[in-house]
Amino acid sequence: MEKEKFKANLSKFHDKYYKALLLIPAILLLLSFVYLGVFYKQNGDFIHRDISLTGGTSVTINEPLDSANLTLALSDKLEGLSVRNIYDIFTNEKKALIVETKSDSDTTRVVLENYLGHELNEDNSSFEFTGSALSQSFFRQLLIAIILAFVFMAIVVFIIFRTLVPSAAVIISAFADIFMTLTVFNIFGMQMSTAGIVAFLMLIGYSVDTDILLTNRVLRRHEHSLNSRIYSAFKTGMTMTLTSLVAIAAALLLVRSFSPVLASILTILVIGLVFDIFNTWITNASIIKWYALKKHGQ
Amino acid sequence: MASKLTWKIWLLIIFLILSILSIFNFSAFFKHGVSISSVEPNSTAFSQGFKQDQIITAIDGQSIRSIEDYTSAMQGKFQSNQTEKSIFTIRGGEIIYFSDHLPEITVAGISKTKLKLGLDLVGGSRALIQAEGQQLSSSETSELVDITSNRLNEFGLTDLKVRQVSDLQGNNYMLVEIAGATPDNLKDLISQQGKFEAKIGNETVFVGGKDKDIASVCRGDPTCARIDSVQQSSDGGYVAQFSFGITLSPEAAARHAAITGNLSVNASNPQYLSEPLDLYLDDSLVESLLIGKDLKGRVTTQISVSGSGTGATQDEALKSAEEEMHKLQTILITGSLPYKLEIVKLDTISSLLGKDFIRTILLAGVIALLGASLVVLVRYRNIKSSLALILTSVSEILIILGIAALIEWNLDLPSIAGILATIGTGFDDQIVILDETSHEKFLSLKQRLKRAFAIILGAYFTALVSMFPLLWAGAGLLKGFAFTTIVGITAGVFITRPAFSDIVRKMLED
Repeated sequence: MEKEKFKANLSKFHDKYYKALLLIPAILLLLSFVYLGVFYKQNGDFIHRDISLTGGTSVTINEPLDSANLTLALSDKLEGLSVRNIYDIFTNEKKALIVETKSDSDTTRVVLENYLGHELNEDNSSFEFTGSALSQSFFRQLLIAIILAFVFMAIVVFIIFRTLVPSAAVIISAFADIFMTLTVFNIFGMQMSTAGIVAFLMLIGYSVDTDILLTNRVLRRHEHSLNSRIYSAFKTGMTMTLTSLVAIAAALLLVRSFSPVLASILTILVIGLVFDIFNTWITNASIIKWYALKKHGQ
Repeated sequence: MASKLTWKIWLLIIFLILSILSIFNFSAFFKHGVSISSVEPNSTAFSQGFKQDQIITAIDGQSIRSIEDYTSAMQGKFQSNQTEKSIFTIRGGEIIYFSDHLPEITVAGISKTKLKLGLDLVGGSRALIQAEGQQLSSSETSELVDITSNRLNEFGLTDLKVRQVSDLQGNNYMLVEIAGATPDNLKDLISQQGKFEAKIGNETVFVGGKDKDIASVCRGDPTCARIDSVQQSSDGGYVAQFSFGITLSPEAAARHAAITGNLSVNASNPQYLSEPLDLYLDDSLVESLLIGKDLKGRVTTQISVSGSGTGATQDEALKSAEEEMHKLQTILITGSLPYKLEIVKLDTISSLLGKDFIRTILLAGVIALLGASLVVLVRYRNIKSSLALILTSVSEILIILGIAALIEWNLDLPSIAGILATIGTGFDDQIVILDETSHEKFLSLKQRLKRAFAIILGAYFTALVSMFPLLWAGAGLLKGFAFTTIVGITAGVFITRPAFSDIVRKMLED
């Protein structure tokens, strides 16, 4: 009976405030716009790109070297130097060192070999070099890929629901999701890589799942009241998102110190899923409720 | 449990069996031996017939079952610096190996799976190449790919892939991928245009290329291709001189005769003619050869080409001279590339971290799977649902891997990230099925499942279309992600989730 009472109270609260609730995502979205606008003005770009998107060299040296010493010694020799260690996931011992710089691969090799006092070959290191023109082109294409993916997704959503407002609600929530995640990504000072962009692409798929579930339950079902349909969708959707969150967070804890590439994908997904909860159950739910009430007067 | 399995469950079982057959190399479980994972190009082992992927089953009659057997069989052999004979029994034949050193091969256990792992996991090199300062059309790029593969094969590199890739903006690239050990001079080999010209004064006598002025090039025959001398140079290093003979085509020989016919004898050095034969490689002078006065105006097809290599020690100079000679021979045979090239991306990945990577990813996958099924267990308080969920996800992974093995897809890091993404959407769908079937009891189970699939199909199509652009963006380097995701969610929607819903139905009916 406790549960029934809770549901009734929630229902009453939601009936009264669901339109007002829409102000929260609206304000957040506005703040995101302002933040990203200021960010763009300061940095000339709307993200910090790492070398996979600006061009440069990434070297993995399979030795437990000290990152601070190396940074100190080489920061004036290698342009835009950034150094980090990776650790064994079981013993937490230093396993290797990743050196990233905008310098080209030959220069980087000479500088590092001089510092280390030995040759770097394929038995002790990996070199990855990307020219800056190619990186620029990659970046542009990945942006195109995201925009296309978003447009394709929007078209499919329209085909599924065939009505303007509910489809638009799904698309707006997905957009808000990506936009807010991007803002938090920048606030954290993280650097965008090709892998990061792929994560945003994954986010499109993940965030639309729950929105489709909600819209489907609200529009296609006619048993029970509107509120209980939203509530049942909420229960299913929260289980979905929480399951994903637990799975991704667990994987993130494990790979965090080992693979910067996977870690950045998983971090973006965690941020995105948290915003997905918010945007599905506040943004999308309020719009669809408003629409259903207006249309059917339920 | 109800007695009969539905056709959907049977379909899943059939797919699982096919996947397992496709992934695993069952013969490896019963046959013994070690497989050759690489052979050094132009080595003694290479010339005596060792090839990649051959399986060594015995050495000198002693059976080889593992890498340890191989190592112990090799111990103590070829240490006396004298030529020894060893008989290597390989599957389908034998190789009689004569040498004073160990064969230059690396061996590995016979692989238990047919999965192909990407360069970023097993090590190797990858280069993306464009023409400098111009965009090549598709047919120009494919011509470039042909000439380059020919050059690399002439050089003795066989285990590599050269192909054409293009991207969303319509740019064409040449992609060169080499698994395993990377040759030191890969960069030169693929990016050097290799325009070889022999000139007297301003007049071209001949250019490189068997289709042009060269009839044949002497290689690997010490009577006409050798290191002539090693000397210490004034700066303390060493210089080694090499020379090898080439045969000119009749036209080039006639040209040589006509041009030398106009030369006079060198006044200060009367043995030779007044102008030397200058050899240029990519417009820079490599060597200036004096022409003997007897050759004036003679039609000669035999020319000796020479050059040098340097090094800090005698051995290094020798090695460098040998490499230079080999490169020059290759260029003379294959001729010039039609364009000046630029390496726009070059990755040389060590194989060392690959194993750790695979282990970490597997562990991350298992932990993610356990975490998610724990949430489901807490939410539904039903161990059977959790088990069915894990079972379905594992089936999906098996089917993705089965298809990847079947079409020999290279499983690189993006592909593995795609598999993880698939597990995530798989969970979402299964939760929808679980919830839809446990609610609205007044509807028939069939109707409830139909409702679940309306949601699942909607989610499927949005995810599907959002992956398409990635198949082409960025010269296809990330298409592994799109590929595994598309295969995974498709297998999920049409095979595993229908079966899962039948399993859930059986559980509910019981």
